[in-house]
Amino acid sequence: MSAVELNDVVKRYGALEVVHSVNLNVERGEFVVLVGPSGCGKSTTLRMVAGLEEISGGTVSIGGRLVNRVAPKDRDVAMVFQNYALYPHLNVAENIAFGLRVRREKKDVIEAAVKEAAAILDLTPYLARKPADLSGGQRQRVAMGRAIVRKPQVFLFDEPLSNLDAKLRTQMRAEIKRLHKRMGVTSIYVTHDQIEAMTLADRIVVMNGGRVEQVGTPMELFLKPANAFVASFLGSPPMNLLRATVVCVDGEPMARIDAADPEAALLRLPKAIGTSLRADQRILVGLRPEHVAVGNDASGDVQEIAATVDLVEPLGSEALLHTRISGQPIVAKIETPADVEALSQIGRLQIPVGRLHVFDAESGKAVNGHA
Amino acid sequence: MASFNLYSRGDRIFGYANATLIGLFVLSTLYPFIYILSVSISSGAAVTSGQVVLLPKDLTLAAYEFVLSDRLFWIAYGNTFIYTFGGTAVSLAIMIPGAYALSRARLRGRKILNLMVAFTLWFNAGMIPFFLNMRDLGLLDSRFGIIIGFACNAFNVILLRNFFEAVPKSFEEAAKMDGASEFQLLWKVFIPLSKPAIITVALFCIVSRWNSYFWAMVLLRGEEKIPLQLYLKRIIVDLTANDEFASSLLTSRYSFETVTAAIMIASIIPVLLIYPSIQKYFNRGITLGGVKE
Repeated sequence: MSAVELNDVVKRYGALEVVHSVNLNVERGEFVVLVGPSGCGKSTTLRMVAGLEEISGGTVSIGGRLVNRVAPKDRDVAMVFQNYALYPHLNVAENIAFGLRVRREKKDVIEAAVKEAAAILDLTPYLARKPADLSGGQRQRVAMGRAIVRKPQVFLFDEPLSNLDAKLRTQMRAEIKRLHKRMGVTSIYVTHDQIEAMTLADRIVVMNGGRVEQVGTPMELFLKPANAFVASFLGSPPMNLLRATVVCVDGEPMARIDAADPEAALLRLPKAIGTSLRADQRILVGLRPEHVAVGNDASGDVQEIAATVDLVEPLGSEALLHTRISGQPIVAKIETPADVEALSQIGRLQIPVGRLHVFDAESGKAVNGHA
Repeated sequence: MASFNLYSRGDRIFGYANATLIGLFVLSTLYPFIYILSVSISSGAAVTSGQVVLLPKDLTLAAYEFVLSDRLFWIAYGNTFIYTFGGTAVSLAIMIPGAYALSRARLRGRKILNLMVAFTLWFNAGMIPFFLNMRDLGLLDSRFGIIIGFACNAFNVILLRNFFEAVPKSFEEAAKMDGASEFQLLWKVFIPLSKPAIITVALFCIVSRWNSYFWAMVLLRGEEKIPLQLYLKRIIVDLTANDEFASSLLTSRYSFETVTAAIMIASIIPVLLIYPSIQKYFNRGITLGGVKE
């Protein structure tokens, strides 16, 4: 039995449908991340699980119990909000204890639960402080403490780290992961940050325009994206997508990169994919920046192709090379060489044919059987 | 090292002019207080002969002795306390839940209900219908009538409603997830978060009830129920025609003016004591509803 089950869940505001038939099974103890751009319906979906939004269609079950018409407090879920939602008039201990107090738990039970949560979250020295006297990270830990003490079946996180600065976000991300490992509570986490999704999730649900685009483990989604949206959403920098047309050269399918120049570049396509393509089919050829190589770095089935360098961005140990193939932009992420200046003189890129992804240009779906 | 001034000559002149004007304004508002206090502790003869302009002359507490020994003064004082603090408590108990309900988007008919409340700001039934209404409800000459008849004020309800609306939704949602009932949500979240607004409204109620005169005069009959302001009116109007009082002036150190001033001072003391302790909330409260964070 799944811990959380969404069947054909729909959300409408009047005539406007914002979440379209979402299906998802979250297993007990699993950490599932809903990720997608702003307005994709991920927070709305989470809020329907929480009971903060009415469900317009479909069913939501928690622990095998249908909860469509169950009040948030009776769903046995706890939520951590983006803006912490800590009560400013209460101190840390009172904030953590709030949920137990309103449920009229015994005083000693409340005290023990607060102590335990504070110890887990390193909040013991701050129990008497008001939220205004805490740092952003401490406030977020208090918000988590408030969720922990309830010992719910499911934790819901609504972009909990987006108000923190980059450094703190990385720290808190690790803390959330440690907390999940320690407590093993089923968690659904919403974020627009694909790095958070990749690092935290057991499984990622990529959403776009109110629809689920793909569900899978982080590496499944990274290596075998079901469509061009997922391919371009996950990964930093995102996957390069080159517009092209399938042509047949000596009986082998190749991609002719769109360009004003009639001598447009021809890219060999992986044999496994070639059989699924037809001549003149409009496609998007995808390639991860980290798979593009320069010089003699690449090995295996590699095609060398002419490119012009627009910009070099050294990031320390790595550098981003912004180039163009037949006028279309392509970014390469390479190890920074000793002579960074020389990178701007590079005239050719090495494309590992086996790493290429192909998507139908019209539907966006992957042509490698993963759609 | 060369020194420089952050302010230009024009800025400095503007600053001095401002300070002077504010100083004059402060003096003009402070003067009546000082004058009334001086009159109340001066001899009747000194006041009548026009010797008291700012500071007291012939110091005496005779006027206070006269006022404080009057049984009716204490009854009126007690009544004013009941009307002010009892009335304010009842007002808050009615207006807070009302404003909270009106602030909730899920309240059915919310728009029309809000319009009905706001309507009373612009139009009201007037004195005669209100009087008849109170009479028909059996609330004439009744302490309860004074308290309940003026318990709800549309302006204060709207002020509270606006503040409740400005409370971030996530507090409500977090409390709901935590298991708070609607009453707990109001009591444990909204009321503490809205303390500035509630204290401001309480102060409005306190000041208006402490100073209330007209409706007490219209609705109350018996001396046992009159508030301080009505007592003051009786002193001013009735004592001038009272032969016993007139003859007592011949032998006493108080006069009609010093007695009136002593009552005024006695009547403003509670408000003067309350205001400084809640001034910080009041200052924040009067801007409520104008901005949303």
